[in-house]
Amino acid sequence: MQENGSLKLFKHGPTIEARLVVLGFLALALLLVDARWSTLEPVRQGISIALYPFQRVMLAPRDGIERVKGWVDAANELRIEKEALQHQRIELAQMATHAAQLAAENEQLRRLLNVPDTVTQPAIAVEVLFEPTSAFNHHLVFNKGSNSGIRPGMPVIDEGGVVGQIVRVTPFTSEAALVNDDKLSVPVQVLRNGLRLIAFGGGADGKMEVRYLTAGADIQPGDELVTSGIGVLFPAGLPVARVDSVHRDSATGFAMALATPLAHPERHRHFLVLQVDVDAAHRLEEALGAQGELL
Amino acid sequence: MARRVKVEVARKGAGLSSLEPIDASPFRMAASPGFLWFTVVAFWMFSLLPWRTWDPAPDLLLLVIAYWSLNEPRRVGMVTAFFFGILMDVHDGGLLGVQALSYTLVAYGTLKLSRRLQRFNSVVQCLHMLPVFVVAKSASRLIEGWLAGEWLGWGWFWSAILMALLWPLLDVVLQMPQRRHEEGDGGAV
Repeated sequence: MQENGSLKLFKHGPTIEARLVVLGFLALALLLVDARWSTLEPVRQGISIALYPFQRVMLAPRDGIERVKGWVDAANELRIEKEALQHQRIELAQMATHAAQLAAENEQLRRLLNVPDTVTQPAIAVEVLFEPTSAFNHHLVFNKGSNSGIRPGMPVIDEGGVVGQIVRVTPFTSEAALVNDDKLSVPVQVLRNGLRLIAFGGGADGKMEVRYLTAGADIQPGDELVTSGIGVLFPAGLPVARVDSVHRDSATGFAMALATPLAHPERHRHFLVLQVDVDAAHRLEEALGAQGELL
Repeated sequence: MARRVKVEVARKGAGLSSLEPIDASPFRMAASPGFLWFTVVAFWMFSLLPWRTWDPAPDLLLLVIAYWSLNEPRRVGMVTAFFFGILMDVHDGGLLGVQALSYTLVAYGTLKLSRRLQRFNSVVQCLHMLPVFVVAKSASRLIEGWLAGEWLGWGWFWSAILMALLWPLLDVVLQMPQRRHEEGDGGAV
């Protein structure tokens, strides 16, 4: 018996049960810490940077094929795009004169009211690198990161409107949570009447939910929701979603609306990251937090 | 012993062709470490491609790690499984530790069953591996679901079944270099 025991000790080192306990606990500890706090972000970032060359190598054939396909279809695509652009040009020409008129008027009014000018937002064009496989969140990974000036918190848009928000960056990549991800919330406004609301991701079928409405709130199916600009991170006036249905619960006195996002992150590969002043948002948050503590 | 061989020969009928060993199953040669790590790294890199977004997609990397922890337990084991699990967690942008946990559990299950598994051929082995895959995947899915506050269906169950079905195929592919080696040695012995 004793001989057996000592043989086993030399042959195997720690038993597999001991290894299971150690590694299992380690995995569980990582899970719990990662779910509640962001202390593991540096570790994750380190590993992401190490993974990046492998990801690029594996995606290189796909990118190559797409480039070749792009070359082959170039003539056809260009014709279609040219037609679409011509249509757009005519429409935009009309709108541009109108907008110029409004801008002049707006500027004048702002001067009269002593309101500071709105600033135009610098932006970075990014391309989707891949869509991470995770059943629990809707994310996209882009091909530019903190080296290009992207920081967590910046909004991502396409021509439809708000696509999502950057949640994580490495020097070469950035990861965005889409508007239908349940961790994201966007301060919005009903375009029709200016009613301020908050839209949350995580509804069924990739929809957004507008919660915490009083039962009498003036919101209808078909209403367009645009960003309200509250909270600094999302500049005002970007389209976010269109309301599909409003559910009024007479028992609780609250209502909830379901809305379909207007952006189409699944259709395009190129997006714009708006370089908003993330620090200003943090400062505002801190100031509000301090105020809250004082009160 | 001599009598038993005689009986065997008598049963199989006369002739030189009957003079073959009673146990005809091929001997398992040890896989070369180079080939072993090449397959692990190759399947890991293949897993970086976007085909895994399909929920029932089999986790081929996990399958390869399980296979080597059965056949080469001294080189690939639970620590390797944990390490690659963490790499996949970071790549997928999910919670750290989810796949590390299920990879570790699969490696543990394989090592625990290895004595038993080695008695069977790969088809019977895959029947043993199915519950291992199901338990490991469900454990990580339950914890992830608990932390996220929602349950996201049974797609992973199909993934476990597909993985078990692929086991015999993987056995054929990963044993190929060792068999070739053996055939080359055949004349010398």
